[in-house]
Amino acid sequence: MSKPETIDTKPVAAKRLPGPGRAAVSLTVLAPLMWLPQAGLAAHAIGLLADGAPVSAVLPLAAGFTLFGLLRAALDAVSGRLAFKAARAELSARRAAALTSLSARSPVDITRPSSGEAASALAEQSEMLTPWLSRYVPAKAKAMIVPFVVAAATLPFSWIAALALLITAPVIPLFMALVGMKAQKASEKQLARMSDVNSYLMDRLRGLRTIRTLGAVDATAKRLRHEAEDLKRRTMAVLRIAFLTSATLELFSALGVALTAVYIGFHLLGFIDIGTWGTKLSLSQGLFVLMIAPSFFEPLRELSAVWHDRAAGEAALKSLEKMTERGTDLPQGAGAFVNPLEDAVQVDNLTYTHPGRETPVLEGFNLTVKAGERIAISAPSGAGKSTLLSLLAGLATQDVGQVLLFGTSAADARDAGSIAWVGQNAHIFSGSMAANVALGRADAPVADALHVARLEAVAETHGKAPLGEGGRGLSGGEVVRLAIARAAANPWARLIIADEPTAHLDAATAELVTESLLELAKDRTLIVATHDAALLACMDRVVTLIAAPENAT
Amino acid sequence: MKALRTVLRLFLAEKRLMLALAFTLAALTGLAGVALLSLSGWFITATALAGLSSATALAFDVFAPSAGIRFLALFRTAGRYGERVISHDATLAVLAGMRELLFRSFARSRAARALERNPARLLFRLTLDVDALDGLYLRLIVPVGVALISALTALLALSFIDGATGIATGLFLIIGGFGVALMAAMRAEKQARLRAAALEALRSRVIDLVSGATDLLMAGRLGERRADVLAADSRLAEADDRLNRVETFAGFALAALAPMAGGILLVALAILVSRGTIGAPGAAFALLLVLAAAEPFTALKRVAVEAGRILAAAKRIAPQVEAEDDVVPPAPPPSDLAIRLENVTARHPGAARASLTAASLSIKQGETVALIGPSGAGKSTLLALIAHEIALDAGRLESLDASLLTQRAELFADTLAGNLRLAKPDATEDELWHVLTMAGLAETARALPDGLATWLGEGGAGLSGGERRRLSLARLLLHDAPILLLDEPTEALDQKTASDIMERLEAIKGQKTLLIATHAAREALIAERVFILVNGQFAGDYRRGDEGFDAAIATLRDA
Repeated sequence: MSKPETIDTKPVAAKRLPGPGRAAVSLTVLAPLMWLPQAGLAAHAIGLLADGAPVSAVLPLAAGFTLFGLLRAALDAVSGRLAFKAARAELSARRAAALTSLSARSPVDITRPSSGEAASALAEQSEMLTPWLSRYVPAKAKAMIVPFVVAAATLPFSWIAALALLITAPVIPLFMALVGMKAQKASEKQLARMSDVNSYLMDRLRGLRTIRTLGAVDATAKRLRHEAEDLKRRTMAVLRIAFLTSATLELFSALGVALTAVYIGFHLLGFIDIGTWGTKLSLSQGLFVLMIAPSFFEPLRELSAVWHDRAAGEAALKSLEKMTERGTDLPQGAGAFVNPLEDAVQVDNLTYTHPGRETPVLEGFNLTVKAGERIAISAPSGAGKSTLLSLLAGLATQDVGQVLLFGTSAADARDAGSIAWVGQNAHIFSGSMAANVALGRADAPVADALHVARLEAVAETHGKAPLGEGGRGLSGGEVVRLAIARAAANPWARLIIADEPTAHLDAATAELVTESLLELAKDRTLIVATHDAALLACMDRVVTLIAAPENAT
Repeated sequence: MKALRTVLRLFLAEKRLMLALAFTLAALTGLAGVALLSLSGWFITATALAGLSSATALAFDVFAPSAGIRFLALFRTAGRYGERVISHDATLAVLAGMRELLFRSFARSRAARALERNPARLLFRLTLDVDALDGLYLRLIVPVGVALISALTALLALSFIDGATGIATGLFLIIGGFGVALMAAMRAEKQARLRAAALEALRSRVIDLVSGATDLLMAGRLGERRADVLAADSRLAEADDRLNRVETFAGFALAALAPMAGGILLVALAILVSRGTIGAPGAAFALLLVLAAAEPFTALKRVAVEAGRILAAAKRIAPQVEAEDDVVPPAPPPSDLAIRLENVTARHPGAARASLTAASLSIKQGETVALIGPSGAGKSTLLALIAHEIALDAGRLESLDASLLTQRAELFADTLAGNLRLAKPDATEDELWHVLTMAGLAETARALPDGLATWLGEGGAGLSGGERRRLSLARLLLHDAPILLLDEPTEALDQKTASDIMERLEAIKGQKTLLIATHAAREALIAERVFILVNGQFAGDYRRGDEGFDAAIATLRDA
């Protein structure tokens, strides 16, 4: 089984977070305190009944009891809403910040998070931020204040009852810490294990085709069951300990109520005289002390219920913060105009070193391409072909030298839509074939583009159905042609850059791709990196890069 | 509701007794809490009245009630602990069973094909749904049951004091509490569905933004796509907000139950006391009983939202669980044939156009056949058909058992031996080493730290691309299917590894029927027969030595 991810339990950055706001927190704390007047009114009413007071004397007390109860419900509702809104806004803000820095990074940057990492950090993981901020933080504030107020309210009637509560107060966290340390580990372990079984299920479902073809469905199902039951056995061993935390709290709150009741009962009978301030408690006073005793423990119980929100929330925050780290940025355009009369490409003394590497992949490179020329770049792998194309396309910034496209920077040419890109692994977006060509460009001539890429028949076959993830259901040739169609959907492109468009294709498909690439490049400038002899033969000129010695393979 | 029943069946397939026991304990524990508070209230009031004179004070039986109070306190703690242990034990067992059933459901052809096409999205959806369904017992059934039982207890106990008061209070709690919860659950379900859809959109748009950054940038659409992700988050935020509003409103209404019931009850009790029906201790008992019995209802606000989520998940999963397999394994062909197709028309699921039309062929047992043709000609469809992954539209297909080696070599998070034994669970170590040797992986395997017991990460992480392909080849060789279907077996491998793999395939020629779909001459060269597939129809069938055979091979890429 994979190693459970270790969760750093250091409290991260909680201070840097705007909490749910002072107002929300004060209302949260105020809400449970409404029980004090409620209990007082109810206890007083029972006292009046015992004294034989008329029904009319109870009426205002009953109304007050209800009103304070409704006030408490309203305070809870309002503070809950405020806390939620603040927490949710924080989540959106953090997501937006992560997206901004993700999309500012160059696709060439190898330290950029993978799409899977980014997706789980921004989607499901970051979801845990809201419960942490909206529930855990207020619950903690409640647990720190409410018990002391309850104890203080008990004190005027019985110092012994208040003392009993206050003695348990530090005892409870101590007990909880002892059991809780084990419980924390246990629940983390259990989470990791549970996700193990889930990832086992998902792993097997991902390879379902293989399992089916090997006739192993039954065996895998049984094995899955076995794994899950094994997990159950191991988990229960630790859960038994974990539940002791809540049992401790339960015990204290139950015993707190029971002992208070017994003490007050004996006191009222006159068997115990100590613990009050000299006078005997009245029935109402005794009842009041009893009724508020459970609310001493309630906030602690609430806090322990949302305890796990903290670890998950902190993990969410960490992964979101990782997404906002910066690496190699995309070059920014300066808004300069392209000049179609200038050379298509003018590269002077270009040097580029990959971040983290010592030796440059390109050094002192020069190249001039006239508008309308079709040139091939040929080089052994590792000689910097793809890097050169990326620099020309404005995907990264050179360290030294100058790159001019139609008299302006690569980034400006890119922003002006003057460059069209036919990459090696076109990403297939969720959507239909037509949507994958248009990519949301409202005025894109999709039909023409499909025609240039010889994709009309394929597009018709797939219809409006969304394409499979990662191009499942499309052949390698079709993916390349889709990239050509994407390029063709940009009528303003003056320069076509293509990276090994015919690699890994059969002869017939390669010919088709070459044909449509040449049609796309009509009246435009074409730069294509390739080894393919047939494609090379169609070019006006071949530029050969020599591998830098340490990159040669 | 039908969906919920299907899922409930899935959930309650076993361990019903344990679940029932846990439920009973949960209910008893809840009752102990109610009884503890109300008995304490009665005790204090009664002692106060008795304490007015020393004669009554001495006559008062303090021991039975105070022992009862202490017993209830301890019982509540012990009961709660026992309930948690038993219910988690049972739930984990149930979840184990549910995962097995889910796997079997998704292994049926229709669901399997959908998964094959969009694995990331569907697996993510399934993860969310399974997570929601996991809570069916602990987060829905138990709290609802506990609330119901404590309300019924209040109803019964109060009825002994005064029938009308008891029934009115009990019904007020039950109708008010469950009415609010039900309304909230129904509203939450829609929002939970929208929320799941928005989260899925957010996720896939982030993937598009990161993986497709270059394509988007060059099309000048990066900024718009980032805005699309933010739009998904706004939708998510809206659904979150609506859910929170539902929860807040339900929370307010449920929290209002106790003070309302308590206030009215106080007046009713005052009337009863003034009539002499009950005394003050009885009134204290009744009031605290109802307040404690209303307590579990406040927990229903989360339960209602959870119920909406569970219901939405059940609706998505149920159809998969109920769907039947739509592909029947083909019948074996007559005499010495391995595969026979007569006028077969087939399409990939969802495709508008058939990719095989009226295709006929027969292949003898032990033949090695190359299947060539431009991409999109229907080669993969033919292989999927013989591997009975898809159903045919028309015609007749007969085939022996066949297993397929796909281009994506699928390895699992398991040991090396575990990955191999998928093909033959009872294979001995000797058999494993034999197939590893045949696939050219024995030396690599021997050099691994734990040999056959070496753990391979997800997708076979830890092995190179070539080694992965060899391992899946070894697994295929271990499988006893008489036909091997190979879809571009050396695609994207370097020349040396590729020719080594082809040599090893050549070595088993004649022992099994091999059908190789290929674009590469190096793969087709081991064949003694070649089929040419063009636009879904066979355009040629040549044997080694025929003129057409060499011509057909010559059209292939030589890399």
